Amino acid sequence: MKLSKDEVAHLAELARLKLDESQIDKMTAEVGSILEYVESIQKVDVAGVEPFSMPAKSQGFRPDEAFDCDDLTRELILENFPGRAGDLLAAPGVFSNPKN
Amino acid sequence: MYNTLTITQAIKELESGNLTSRKLTEACLTQIQSLDGALHAFLEVYADEALEQADRSDIRRAEGNVLGPLDGIPIALKDNIMVQNKRCTAGSKMLATYNAAYDATVTKKLTDAGAVIIGKTNLDEFAMGGSTEQSAFGPTKNPHDPDRVPGGSSGGSAVAVTANMCLAALGSDTGGSIRQPASFCGITGLKPTYGRVSRSGLIAMASSFDQIGPLAKSAEDAALVLSVIQGQDNADQTTSDVEVFTPDWKDTVKGLKIGLPRQAWAVKGIEPDVREATEKSLKLLESLGAELVDIDLPYVDEALAVYYVLMPCEVSANLSRFDAMRFGARKQGLPLFETYSESRAENLGSEVQRRILIGTFALSSGYIDAYYVHAKKVQTLIRDGYKKAFESVDLIVTPTAPTTAFKLGEKLSDPLSMYLEDIFTVSANVAGLPALSIPCESDGQMPVGLHFLAPWFEEAKLLSTAKILQEKITE
Repeated sequence: MKLSKDEVAHLAELARLKLDESQIDKMTAEVGSILEYVESIQKVDVAGVEPFSMPAKSQGFRPDEAFDCDDLTRELILENFPGRAGDLLAAPGVFSNPKN
Repeated sequence: MYNTLTITQAIKELESGNLTSRKLTEACLTQIQSLDGALHAFLEVYADEALEQADRSDIRRAEGNVLGPLDGIPIALKDNIMVQNKRCTAGSKMLATYNAAYDATVTKKLTDAGAVIIGKTNLDEFAMGGSTEQSAFGPTKNPHDPDRVPGGSSGGSAVAVTANMCLAALGSDTGGSIRQPASFCGITGLKPTYGRVSRSGLIAMASSFDQIGPLAKSAEDAALVLSVIQGQDNADQTTSDVEVFTPDWKDTVKGLKIGLPRQAWAVKGIEPDVREATEKSLKLLESLGAELVDIDLPYVDEALAVYYVLMPCEVSANLSRFDAMRFGARKQGLPLFETYSESRAENLGSEVQRRILIGTFALSSGYIDAYYVHAKKVQTLIRDGYKKAFESVDLIVTPTAPTTAFKLGEKLSDPLSMYLEDIFTVSANVAGLPALSIPCESDGQMPVGLHFLAPWFEEAKLLSTAKILQEKITE
């Protein structure tokens, strides 16, 4: 199916991608031609077919437990913060200045 | 020219005392220095650390404490595989300064086995692309003709091996990203069975398809690398606890049944050069005693379409972590929504953005059943088709890619034509099968790859057959 420019702009907003007018035009054309191509699968009869899912692991999942990390690993994680206040992660406020 | 040795040859030289890991590593570093300015296979070279690792390997060898077959062997890693305290960019501006906090499981396994990690190789951004032109740090060139692409997305790893800058390299394969560049560059590339190799520490693209594997100079070398990097891993719940891979080298392919799916060989886009070279290799296989069988394997075209629905869905979910909060580039001084949307728009490339948008669409309310769920059902049919096909044949063979390496820029403006390059390789990812590309006989033109698929976890059969044919071709 062909998507409209408004639909692509909405998808971009959902995906947190700020696109300008010309980028939206370009994406509308490209995404449209790819969607037309992949629609060929809708001709395949899938009546009674289960969606594929990975077989479950025999030994189950690892325990969801916190574990200690060494100083180097910790420092590397902190160094990668794009905003840092001491050893804390600095981020824009969630409730301040909401969009529009 | 020690750097031109295969791993198998280098091991012999190291064992006989004719060669040290230092000499071998120095030869690779010299080659990188002289050629990488033109080819751009590497994003980072660890010259000093590599030599230190080489010296430690030489000491171990002198003391009789060799850690395994890869001890002292220089190996490169695709730059979406993490090495602790080293930059890991995934070819993206988003991670241009990202410093990996931990080692990938494969990195740890290689270093525990004594391998010398020589550097990180270029890739299409987040492994999305078939030419390595989508790297935020500039394209890699094909050593056979620098006006042409090396394939992708593991193009840097393919070129590093082809140009003898290392003895082998790791890549990742989500839709053909190991096998297609191996084909374009004329080397061996193996995508193991999904679940054979841990993905922990591999920057995720599409988690249910991604698999790490070797790019090497021979099937024998690929087997050596696989034997080291494989294995069940608590850090990756999708790794399988099946019996470990051990090479099983046969003397002959006599009696082996090789299926040629007629739907694949009938694909119109196969270039005449590719058809000629691959058919010649098939004749060679037949002359060695293999039986070629025409088989019916439906959904060849649909597998590509299924892939281009499911992969973007997983991409859109996986790449939502790049929100400029805990790591990655952040545009500062903006409210929260704009921090997300402007940081992502400025630091993710257009191919990545396109796939995120397609995935966002295919997962959205009202469309998820027609796209995502429908594709998951066709995926079941595709897997069933392979299961049935492997009841009557041992291996399946197709060309690796419909074309040889194309010119830089040729397919950049038409994403769909780039996607069609994956027509023969994606099925292995959609079905989770092991698959490998080896070069056909060279006639001095651009290389052509022959693509083998085996049943789940039967890498040994795949590699043994490839080795026999490879030795006949290079005879």
